[in-house]
Amino acid sequence: MSEQIREQVSAFLDGELPGSETELLLKRLTRDPELRQSFGRYALIGETLRGASNASLSLTFAARVNRAIDGEPAAPLQPAARTRPLRWWKPIAGTAVAAGVAAVAVVALQQRAVAPGLPVAPRVTVQNARLITVPKEALSYTVPAAPAAPAMVAPARLTSYVFAHSKYAEGLGQGNLLSTLLSEDADGAPAAPVASRDAQTAP
Amino acid sequence: MRKGSRSRTHWLIPYAAAGVLSLGLGQRSGAAADDARAWLEKMNQALATRNYDGTFFHLSEGRVETMRIVHRVKAGRVTERLQSLDGSGREFVRNNDELTCYLPDQHTVLVEPRQDHGPFLGSLPRFGADVDEFYLIESLPASRVLGRAARVIAVNPKDQFRFGYRLWLDETTAMPLKTQLCDAHGQVIEQILFARLEMPETIADADLAPAVHTEGMRWVRQGPSTEPPAAALSAYRASELPPGFHLTVSGAQTLGGASVPAAHLVYSDGLATVSVFVEPEATGKASTADTPSAPPEPPMEGLARVGSGFAFSTVVQGHQVTAVGEVPAQTVEFIAHSVKSFASPPR
Repeated sequence: MSEQIREQVSAFLDGELPGSETELLLKRLTRDPELRQSFGRYALIGETLRGASNASLSLTFAARVNRAIDGEPAAPLQPAARTRPLRWWKPIAGTAVAAGVAAVAVVALQQRAVAPGLPVAPRVTVQNARLITVPKEALSYTVPAAPAAPAMVAPARLTSYVFAHSKYAEGLGQGNLLSTLLSEDADGAPAAPVASRDAQTAP
Repeated sequence: MRKGSRSRTHWLIPYAAAGVLSLGLGQRSGAAADDARAWLEKMNQALATRNYDGTFFHLSEGRVETMRIVHRVKAGRVTERLQSLDGSGREFVRNNDELTCYLPDQHTVLVEPRQDHGPFLGSLPRFGADVDEFYLIESLPASRVLGRAARVIAVNPKDQFRFGYRLWLDETTAMPLKTQLCDAHGQVIEQILFARLEMPETIADADLAPAVHTEGMRWVRQGPSTEPPAAALSAYRASELPPGFHLTVSGAQTLGGASVPAAHLVYSDGLATVSVFVEPEATGKASTADTPSAPPEPPMEGLARVGSGFAFSTVVQGHQVTAVGEVPAQTVEFIAHSVKSFASPPR
């Protein structure tokens, strides 16, 4: 990504890129898959750096992202936030590997894999007060242990499920699911396989 | 299909938190929360009633898709078109009667009847204070998107079984210029960012027509089945659910290419929704002695990523059970694993 494009992307993500330049950036991104990929990584790092609160950081977003990409320390960041980009690059790599695997018709999936940053409670116990329990069931539930063997899911079949589900999805969920159906993955199927937890959380 | 008391809302409004903004006033409603809710209501109304034509980025896991949304309300009829601009060439076109999904890369057109005949605003779900038990709505400091001043509203989940949202709403139009899907820790999972958004008085038919050439493509129809599912399938329910989730819909659904309807159960906490499909039998059984040359289609088992949500399949007493939703992986796992057959379905 050239310096000029990087500045444009920074300004865009800061909400400050003029409309005419936004149009140009949009055209470039639509035409250029590699640029889109870079843009995606850039935005991802940016969001990680932003953290939950934009207001608490004194540097502009663009400056923080530039420093992160250039490997410079971003002084105002809290220590925990500073380490995040490294953790986020790993999941990207893991997903790319998984996308390659998806080129076959059936995708091997490891159970209990998680999205990047998605915490998984190893054992979840729910108290009885909030459970909807169909007659005479136990009033607590523990997520069963995952089988050791990889599971098999045919990604094409997911299209039907997502399609049927989408009309009942509320709010944001619906739009995101439908966008998923519009997206193209390596195998042409809408659902991306989940990379293994090991791949995503490796240091 | 039997539905719960809460009616479903319009679909295909991208990143519109139709459900989000329908949240009723709850116990926690301070002035700030009320203001946030008021803005969400404005957004809901704008998304349902205005014409708009926009291009946005869909960012997830470092990947970017560029998409165009066109939404037109004309003489009480709503037509929407969602189009991938840089990838698959796929398109969705929806009118009051049906949804058509053009999948040129799969040489398939998928069609499903949609029964959303009522006015969008009249069909918005209305949630009570119960939603407040699982989500916290708040206003965040104002920001800018697309060079415009924006209100920032957060809907934070209170536990790990559901996702939350952050929305940047245009100060003038209340349209969501930017939305983020976040986990319980505030980590961004996916975001939508408009690069262009116009709200014209009129939208030409041509802007709503699919660009896909459908010659030679396979047309597949699926949808709610007029036939009830087999009694054996109707007996399936989730025996336990994550906090706040309850059954809102139960019915039959014909899935693409299937000859027998599956049972379709919908569980919701007011914002997040999970569908459970129970199919007549695990498909691995079908192809052995009779068709030894055909490769067996194995029963599905395991977790798959579906955009920012997940699907989890398992086999229960010889039936294929799949839970799908825009929820964390553990939620679909939790629900799928709890599904079981009850000889006498609960009433």
